[in-house]
Amino acid sequence: MIITEQKELDEILHSLEGHERVFLVGCGICATTWSTGGEKETREMAARLAEAGKDCTGWIVTEEATCDVRTTRRLLRRNKEQVGPADALLVLACGAGVQTVAALVDVPVYPALDTLFLARLQNLSVCDERCRLCGECILADTAAICPVTLCPKGLMNGPCGGYEDGKCEVDRERDCAWVAIYERMEMLGQLEQFKIIHEPKDWSKDRHPGFINKRDKKALGRG
Amino acid sequence: MSNFAESIAADKFVVTAEVGPPKGTDVAHLLEMAELLRDHVDAINVTDQQSSVMMLGSLAVCHLLHQRGIEPVFQVTCRDRNRIALQSDLLSAAVLGIENVLCLTGDYVTLGDHPQAKPVFDLDSVTLLRAVAALQEGHDLAGKPLRGVPAFFPGAVVSPGANPLGPQIAKMEKKVAAGARFFQTQAVYDPAQFEAFVRRVEYLHVPILVGIILLKSAAMARFMNRNVAGVNVPDGLIEEIGSVPRPDRPAKAVEIAARLIRDVKGMCQGVHVMTLGWERYVPQLLVESRLADEE
Repeated sequence: MIITEQKELDEILHSLEGHERVFLVGCGICATTWSTGGEKETREMAARLAEAGKDCTGWIVTEEATCDVRTTRRLLRRNKEQVGPADALLVLACGAGVQTVAALVDVPVYPALDTLFLARLQNLSVCDERCRLCGECILADTAAICPVTLCPKGLMNGPCGGYEDGKCEVDRERDCAWVAIYERMEMLGQLEQFKIIHEPKDWSKDRHPGFINKRDKKALGRG
Repeated sequence: MSNFAESIAADKFVVTAEVGPPKGTDVAHLLEMAELLRDHVDAINVTDQQSSVMMLGSLAVCHLLHQRGIEPVFQVTCRDRNRIALQSDLLSAAVLGIENVLCLTGDYVTLGDHPQAKPVFDLDSVTLLRAVAALQEGHDLAGKPLRGVPAFFPGAVVSPGANPLGPQIAKMEKKVAAGARFFQTQAVYDPAQFEAFVRRVEYLHVPILVGIILLKSAAMARFMNRNVAGVNVPDGLIEEIGSVPRPDRPAKAVEIAARLIRDVKGMCQGVHVMTLGWERYVPQLLVESRLADEE
């Protein structure tokens, strides 16, 4: 799940300076689950903007993820009577959602959220980052615990000398990823795997900005 | 082959010390400290911006020592340079006649004085050792051949007081597999703990230089216990150094360190003394440790 956080209202109002009529778009997937841009939050944001003197022409929450161009385009069309009069749109979704909306309209589009990370959701209040989207998954060799994400140094071959009582040198509240990997391998009877020397990470696989066209066989082959 | 490497190969008990480059270009004090140490040690480590604090570079200082006939150990961390820069600096060291290389991961940047810096860690200590080995085999990490092949004596570090110890030893084993020919340890204050560690890594058959830090005061001991991973100063030693008035502390610090060295020297192949400004007490320390004759 993509984890987002609402910006301060002051910053949002600063973005909207000079705009009178605002239409809001929330996201039905990540921002709904994490309560940063679902129905409740989008309605509340509309009310706060109205209080601040803005004319809210309307709001929607995309049924699917806002970043899905197909459904978001359809929804904006269906609501064109409210979208049309707006001189700006405010999007309560991740950065991909904001840009999806921006590419579909001809007025300025602004983010209401900061996009933080890709996380595991432990419950509706607690989540922790689990994947850096690094382009080459090594979880098969690390007892399914990601050191690229969870070790601040992204070490590939075991812990540094900085752990103490199994905690990380950078943050003593956090478990050392490599101690956790070692202990899980031990539990699984896979400690032999720890001995494998991993090559330095291949950063050429870290393809940003990412682009994929599954129908373009040549482009796929290029990697 | 460096003299240091030859001494280790010949099974001699070796002594190394450490100097930290200054923040700035005034190397007078550093060279003075190195001169104090030169006749008493086999080699002197030059730290690589220790604790992530921006300093004069290790390579330049190694060169200055080498020019003066003092054998350096070039400390290299993975914190600030990617694989291109690290390999290039290793080649630079080789052409300057520097052979001893200590490969470390490096502290995280937020521990130092430029916490806003971008941390690199493109390689880690294991793959840095592999890079050293590759260069010695005549090619770089990309497999490209070198014109002129360097010779190194690569080493690494280990923390005998790490908790838990298992992952630390597993990583030490990888460092040996990657080419580490000697180890210098984090500071040791508990001979029994060190002995237990040595027993567990006997199977690796690799020379170990025990790390010794002169205990300057009770406050320093407590600071290390709180802040330095893997360092555990027992209460007895804290009381011992705390019990003497300030002017007598250097003598007491030397006495404690000498006793530690006498206790552990049978278990290892050398001692790495980290003096933190008290370089002038090293000769006396070696006499009291029975590693040098009375002068």
